[in-house]
Amino acid sequence: MILTADFVNSQSVASAIQALKARGYGAGEIDIFSTAPVEPAEVLLERPSRMSLVAVVSAVVFCLSAVAFVYYTQHDYRIITGGMPIFSWWSTGVIFYEFTMFGSISATFIMFLIESGLFKRRCSIPTPRLEEGRIYLRVVCDAGDSVSSVECLYEAGAAKVDEMEEQA
Amino acid sequence: MAIDLDRCTGCEACVAACHAENNLPLSDPAEAEKGRAFHWIRVDRYYEGEFPDIRMKYMPVLCQQCEDAPCEPVCPTYATYHNTEGLNVQVYNRCIGTRYCGNNCPYSVRFFNWFEPEWPQPLELQHNPDVSIRPSGVMEKCTFCIQRIQRVKRDAKADGRPVVDGEVQPACVQSCPAEAMTFGDLNDPESKISRLAASGRATRLLEDLGTKPKVFYLQRAK
Amino acid sequence: MDTAVATRTDNLRATLWRPLAGFSRAYLAALVLTFLLGAWGLACWGYQIFRGIGVAGIRRPTMWGFYLVNFVFWIGISHAGTLISAILRLTDAGWRKPVTRIAEAITVFALMIGAMFPIIHLGRPLVFFWLIPYPNSRLLWPNFRSPLLWDLTAIVTYLSGSIIYLYLPLIPDLAELAQHATGWRERLYRLLSIGWTGSDRQWHALERAMHRMAGMILAVAVSVHTVVAWDFAMAVAPLWHSTIFGPYFVAGAIFSGIAALLLVMSVIRRLLHLETYVLPVHFDNLGKLLFLMSLLWFYFTVAENLTTWYGNSPAEMNVFGSRVRGPFAPYFWVMIFCNFVLPFLLLSSRRMRSIRNVTIAAVTVLIGMWLERYLIILPTLSYPHLASATGFYKPTWVEISITASTFAAMAMFYLIFCKLFPAIAVWEYKNDSHR
Repeated sequence: MILTADFVNSQSVASAIQALKARGYGAGEIDIFSTAPVEPAEVLLERPSRMSLVAVVSAVVFCLSAVAFVYYTQHDYRIITGGMPIFSWWSTGVIFYEFTMFGSISATFIMFLIESGLFKRRCSIPTPRLEEGRIYLRVVCDAGDSVSSVECLYEAGAAKVDEMEEQA
Repeated sequence: MAIDLDRCTGCEACVAACHAENNLPLSDPAEAEKGRAFHWIRVDRYYEGEFPDIRMKYMPVLCQQCEDAPCEPVCPTYATYHNTEGLNVQVYNRCIGTRYCGNNCPYSVRFFNWFEPEWPQPLELQHNPDVSIRPSGVMEKCTFCIQRIQRVKRDAKADGRPVVDGEVQPACVQSCPAEAMTFGDLNDPESKISRLAASGRATRLLEDLGTKPKVFYLQRAK
Repeated sequence: MDTAVATRTDNLRATLWRPLAGFSRAYLAALVLTFLLGAWGLACWGYQIFRGIGVAGIRRPTMWGFYLVNFVFWIGISHAGTLISAILRLTDAGWRKPVTRIAEAITVFALMIGAMFPIIHLGRPLVFFWLIPYPNSRLLWPNFRSPLLWDLTAIVTYLSGSIIYLYLPLIPDLAELAQHATGWRERLYRLLSIGWTGSDRQWHALERAMHRMAGMILAVAVSVHTVVAWDFAMAVAPLWHSTIFGPYFVAGAIFSGIAALLLVMSVIRRLLHLETYVLPVHFDNLGKLLFLMSLLWFYFTVAENLTTWYGNSPAEMNVFGSRVRGPFAPYFWVMIFCNFVLPFLLLSSRRMRSIRNVTIAAVTVLIGMWLERYLIILPTLSYPHLASATGFYKPTWVEISITASTFAAMAMFYLIFCKLFPAIAVWEYKNDSHR
């Protein structure tokens, strides 16, 4: 059962989330939809992120690949220019730095796309159409629990709660 | 190469010979006035003193074939690099015309093909077949007549003998009427050029820039 | 409270979305004009490729001319967006809200224009792709030791970073526009908003990504203009071979970037009727920053010139004299006036920092910074180490046309941008109501 409740301010959303958490629902089942970021949601719903780790790893990988690539190309066809050594860190250091940054930038962007779920196009769970000034809370609950959950949401201050069957 | 400044008369026979040997494009007067004339070797004139006690010094300036050439590392396509013989070579095919090397040369010996080269008729019949014609957008400079070096090496190898000192003569060296220019192998300690380079009269141009030029200017030590 | 919020956001949307609807005659005229000028620039470039780069005024010894000046100038302008937007985001300055998207758009377009110039100035532009490392029949890789390759990697990284940095905060606005649009616009916005639903998961990811991007783009921006500076500093030419060039150019870039931002803000405020969002306090704050950068620029200029003069090295003094007393002197003193004297007068006191004065200062700074790039490149090239090669550069109509057309192209890109996307991030304003 999918419950979609709409609220008018963030305090009521916060109390609704707390109430649902008390009933045993976690961040995996609860989603908040809004036209601007909602602070209580950020605090109460944990969304673990691997963005930093992936960015750092990606940066290191890109850096090492850049070093390997430049080392290989400069030794592949050894050409002396200006008395400089065939491979030197100083003369190509900028290239390594830029590749490192490129790695972390692209990793951050890709992790954003992944973590925001934007890649998962096929959405079996419908999302509410956003309207100004309203915050929507969507919770996936068990069929048996739906009635008391709906009551709980109205208590927290929901203006309206819709119920929907989950599509297989 | 060694150039004896005490012998140079400033006649510019070397300039003309280089033009003929290396298929240098002729610029029309308008372009020359804009500073686009090609002179792989040029004669710089320096005046000392006041009239009537003026002393003129003529200094032929050509590519110094620097050991640590500043033009080489800045070329993004390796169009100019140091070959195993120690020459600073220019590969016309690889040049994309960024002109960074031209800016970085402290001797200003690099020339750029701003347009497709043209020769007034019938001068295009006089081209040297050993030297390629450079297209528009490509940098060029003195090569120490690398075509002559290659020819001599080939002939020597065919004859099964080493190259004799003085056998290779770039066009400028060959044409100098005052015999002011000497060309040879610096790696050979017995060659004439090595002895001249080691003499007390040998100086190099803009040595303090650290380019390690291979052209020695011989002049009376003051 | 519900209706108050709804009304406020309706006003927000009404004002910020109004420019997106309809095409006024003035807009169409401006678009056509800038397009024609841009097309003329392209035609000139085509003529240059056909005839040879000799149609430009460059010669021996000044082998770099207007094209390199423009290259450095536009890359400098591109530091507007990321630096201002990134720094303000990182310091969480509230007054950044109307400024960030304008700045980020300037960055992307200026970078696109600036990145064209290394190709335009090539002698053989049709083989510019030889700079890209790919296995080829020439058995060659590009020379990574060359500062021009450093340029390539830096600019590619910066361009991709800036596009991402512009795009990320645009996504929520695009989703909202898609909801309210019809026809081709709806399809476009829906495509670009890549399925944004406004869930808190997405907001989390977006804010995390933005915060990290701000830091990274800052690091890249500093390196990009340093690398551009090193195109000159790595050469042994007199007055170029200076260790201060890296920081000097970065400071100059931020300086000209803020000036460009101020000019664009001023124009957009008037044309798009954003007077309630782009407030005098923004101009005051940015004016203060511009003043600060003017002082910093002046400090670097004094440091550079004093050490040159005091050192008295002959080759360098030759160039220095030409800038201060010789043929380049008029440009040099106009530059000092435009970059330091006038900004000092107009921006030093709060009373003077009106929107009009700040905009005037911004325009003069832009002129002054262009002159500064010119004065860095040309005098050094005109007076090489060996005096027999001294020569002077005179730009031709080809170079002047292409230079002018880039300004038109920038205006055209911006006109199109403002017609398709709101110039101010709508969702950042709504933030207040939900906190």
